[in-house]
Amino acid sequence: MSVLSKLKETLICLKAGRVTLPYPAQARPVPEKFRGRPIFDAAKCIGCAGCASNCPAREILVVDVCQEIRILQYLGRRCTYCGRCADVCPEKAITMSHEFETATNSIGDIRQRLDLFMSTCQRCGRCFKEPSPLEQLKLKGYRFDDVQNERWIHRSQAYLTSEPTVDDIKIELD
Amino acid sequence: MIARDRLNQLKAKFGPAILRADLPGDSRLFVFVAPSVLKAICQHIFRDLDARYIISIGLDDRPFSGKFIVAHDFAFDRDHLLCSVLTYLPAENPKVDSISGVVPGANWAEREIRDLVGIEPVGHPYLKRLVLPDGWPDGVHPLRKDVPWNQVPEGFDDEREFKFDDPPEGCTVVPFGPFHPTLDEPAHFRLYVEGEMVRGCEYRGFMVHRGIEKLAESVLTYNDIPMMAERICGICGCVHNVTYAQAVESAVALRAPPRAEYIRTIMLEIERLHSHLLWVGLACHIVGFDTLFMQSWRIREPIMWMAEKISGNRKTYALCVIGGVRWDITPEVKAELRQVLDKLEAEWRTVVAAVSKDKNIQKRTRGVGVADMTLVKNVGLIGPVARAAGADIDCRRDHPYAAYDRVDFDVIAEAGCDVWSRVVVRMKEVFEAIRIIRQCLEKMEDGPLQAPIKDELPVGRLGVSSVEAPRGESHHFVITGENNRPHRWRVRAPTYQNLQAVPMMIKDQQLADMTISLGSIDPCFSCTDRMETIDLKSGVTKVWSQEELIKLVRAR
Amino acid sequence: MNILCAILGSLGNVALVLLVAPFFQGVLRKVTALIQSRQGPPLWQPYFDLLKLLGKEDIESGQTPIMQRFAAYLSLATVLTLACLVPMGFPAPLDGAGDVILVIYLLTLSGICTLLAGLAAGSTYSLVGISREMMTMIALEPLFAVAIVAGAVRTGSFRLDTVLNGSVYAGGGFPCSGVLLLGVMLLSFQAFVQRVPFDISEAETELMEGPLMEYSGPKLALFKYAQMAKLVIYSAIFVGLFVPWDSTLPFPLGWLCFWAKVFGLVLLVTLVAATHARYRIDQAIRFFASLLVVALGALVLATYGY
Repeated sequence: MSVLSKLKETLICLKAGRVTLPYPAQARPVPEKFRGRPIFDAAKCIGCAGCASNCPAREILVVDVCQEIRILQYLGRRCTYCGRCADVCPEKAITMSHEFETATNSIGDIRQRLDLFMSTCQRCGRCFKEPSPLEQLKLKGYRFDDVQNERWIHRSQAYLTSEPTVDDIKIELD
Repeated sequence: MIARDRLNQLKAKFGPAILRADLPGDSRLFVFVAPSVLKAICQHIFRDLDARYIISIGLDDRPFSGKFIVAHDFAFDRDHLLCSVLTYLPAENPKVDSISGVVPGANWAEREIRDLVGIEPVGHPYLKRLVLPDGWPDGVHPLRKDVPWNQVPEGFDDEREFKFDDPPEGCTVVPFGPFHPTLDEPAHFRLYVEGEMVRGCEYRGFMVHRGIEKLAESVLTYNDIPMMAERICGICGCVHNVTYAQAVESAVALRAPPRAEYIRTIMLEIERLHSHLLWVGLACHIVGFDTLFMQSWRIREPIMWMAEKISGNRKTYALCVIGGVRWDITPEVKAELRQVLDKLEAEWRTVVAAVSKDKNIQKRTRGVGVADMTLVKNVGLIGPVARAAGADIDCRRDHPYAAYDRVDFDVIAEAGCDVWSRVVVRMKEVFEAIRIIRQCLEKMEDGPLQAPIKDELPVGRLGVSSVEAPRGESHHFVITGENNRPHRWRVRAPTYQNLQAVPMMIKDQQLADMTISLGSIDPCFSCTDRMETIDLKSGVTKVWSQEELIKLVRAR
Repeated sequence: MNILCAILGSLGNVALVLLVAPFFQGVLRKVTALIQSRQGPPLWQPYFDLLKLLGKEDIESGQTPIMQRFAAYLSLATVLTLACLVPMGFPAPLDGAGDVILVIYLLTLSGICTLLAGLAAGSTYSLVGISREMMTMIALEPLFAVAIVAGAVRTGSFRLDTVLNGSVYAGGGFPCSGVLLLGVMLLSFQAFVQRVPFDISEAETELMEGPLMEYSGPKLALFKYAQMAKLVIYSAIFVGLFVPWDSTLPFPLGWLCFWAKVFGLVLLVTLVAATHARYRIDQAIRFFASLLVVALGALVLATYGY
């Protein structure tokens, strides 16, 4: 009978008690393996740019200001929190933290920039040892989307013609 | 060798028209035919050999062969065989015979080929725009190789509108969507309503169209794509992730290690659990029964926590790379998962027992949204919708992948054909999913998580993979390409086929039943739409939806 | 003196209903949340909601804004007039101003306000909503009328204070017709107060709020207030007709008993609303039609004294 099943359903409900939390007054911690915002540790980073070449969303950009200085910038806009950067970093300089409350109206809060002093040879990628042959399935060489061309990516509504778009080398870094 | 038998059958009937055949294994068959016999072969396969239609794919092969290719995928479920019939078309003004006359389910796929690749299906009964926005200029076909991925085409016409058909006599037009409280994602069903009865409807969708396939061919690489594939859908992300990886692995004859296969199976079943529990709640919310909605989501919550413990995220597991998985299941996680499953099963049994006797819900769902076997066969319906009509199809058993060939499970089929049968099928599949996970936890072997890849992946190989998503069969078609990315990747989500049946399901039903009929196919519009157009703010808002906006929101 | 008492009493009644109605709504929401295993809003939430709505910008967005305003004012005005006519633990202030026929008309009028609202909005969904509302009203109002008329028949008078004082049981004991009518009204009560399973005209998931779709801000506040007050008024009438005992107790006790009974009725409404799915309009109409047949049978029995 329908009334009986309704009573049974009500009993199920009342037995469960209250399960919701008055968040944010009472927060619930996330598990150990949670992939939150990646934090880059400049002290450990060797500037191999393995993270940049493995990011599916192309959110980590690299530029060499001069022979000795390399700038690595994590933009954080399209970051999917997949954790591939942390997987491939040979120095374990990237940790997927437990932060998930990252809403802000200033992109500067999320961007992380590492100014790195490199020793002489910085173009061969020899400091990056692939952890597994699977990492070979990535795009080879430097990609065009480095910091110099960042504004290209921002203003992606620009019409792309066959002429080169970058005609000045002014680096806008923030 | 069932693939070879089928090939010989086709050869016997069509002889010289079969130009080439690839048999990479016993469960895959790729047949290249001349364009003139394409329609006849498809008709033979669909009607005489009683295969199931999956999808049609168009691609621009001009960089390699100088031609276009059209492929039609079919499934021989009883023979465990996935078959693809391909044909080359000349590069100038490509046309192909439309098969929508003989295979009604190919209606959308051929319109999509026309919109995105520019291959004209000759003889198509309903040739309207499907995927591209209304104002998109003619002649610009995004999936062609000479169109860059981030091009904004000139001549975008803001004023052009989609031309809807006229409503039948005596009917008013009730617009359903794209803004509607029931719909999580935008879609437009133009209902023709007479009083309270729906007499017909027209669908205009593809508003969540995001350019995933073009991005995969142009910008991303093999191992980047799984991260994007799992974002195709908000509920069944793991499925697309796994299906893509399996399709590439099948193309290059790579097999993931056994432990990885078990882990993939476990995560797929965890996803099925959470999706079905979500859907039962959603169906109850649609009929106004919010309590059962809250309760089934409460019961579902521990599964989400487990997924978060295993993979780091409740829904986007970021699980697969080509040749393996990224996360391991430790013994502590195993023990906890077993506990969670036991509790879930006990609670769900009480809920199912209570709901089965509940006349109130059954009154709203019996006899509603009927989809019978002829509709299933013609439109190629899959998943719980087909199983609720009595069709005994399930990719896990018919086209085994991952570890499904090593576990036992039943395929739940009901005969009611209505929404209530779909509710029952999904409720019972929860128990089967729990059973599969338990078997996997026991049988899981130790070993590596990723298969070694020694060289670059070979170019020009074809691979297909079908995976049973919670909503039905999710089918990916991949052709490997250069620069470590696929040459073509086609995603066919289950909602793509199931949505085509909705106009038939809601015909001559009450208006109030429209939402529950639509909800009963468990629609995932994001899965369906996934195609072109990326960074266009102006392109994505449709003209007529702006009108709707003005209507529903006050004009300032 | 009498007129002064009547005016003050009316104002007091109106204030009482306005104060108390959101509280009952809050109880309803809190108990629903308890059944759904969640925290739920605080008990005072409806007050905050109404205050918020009243403070918003008043947008005119339907087809006939004048009619929209009129419908909103009329809706709340009707309900508050009813508040002055219905005894709520003590005799109603406007007792002599009308009889039960006036009450029936006023109840129907408050339903018509929803129709006006939907018509004035003029969008497809609101028109579908009001057609459902019309069908529901045609099926429902006779039920109430029959119950009140049965009471009038038994007591032989149409006066408010006699009818709304357990008149269906008049003559002592538990007459057949009284029990039948009690059953009929219990089964259809959800429809009067527009709750699941019978809130068909405002089905959120199907019709996007139906007739009230074009309302926002202060006008929506008036409609919401009217709906909350209707819950209290209908419960008061129900309690007056069918659960009249303890009404003869001296002032504080009788008054408190009355409100306790109304509270119990609100809890019952909540429980039923939380555990049922919404019915379709054709299923609902069939249900009400069968109830109407039973009610008419009870009326016949009442005339013959059973």
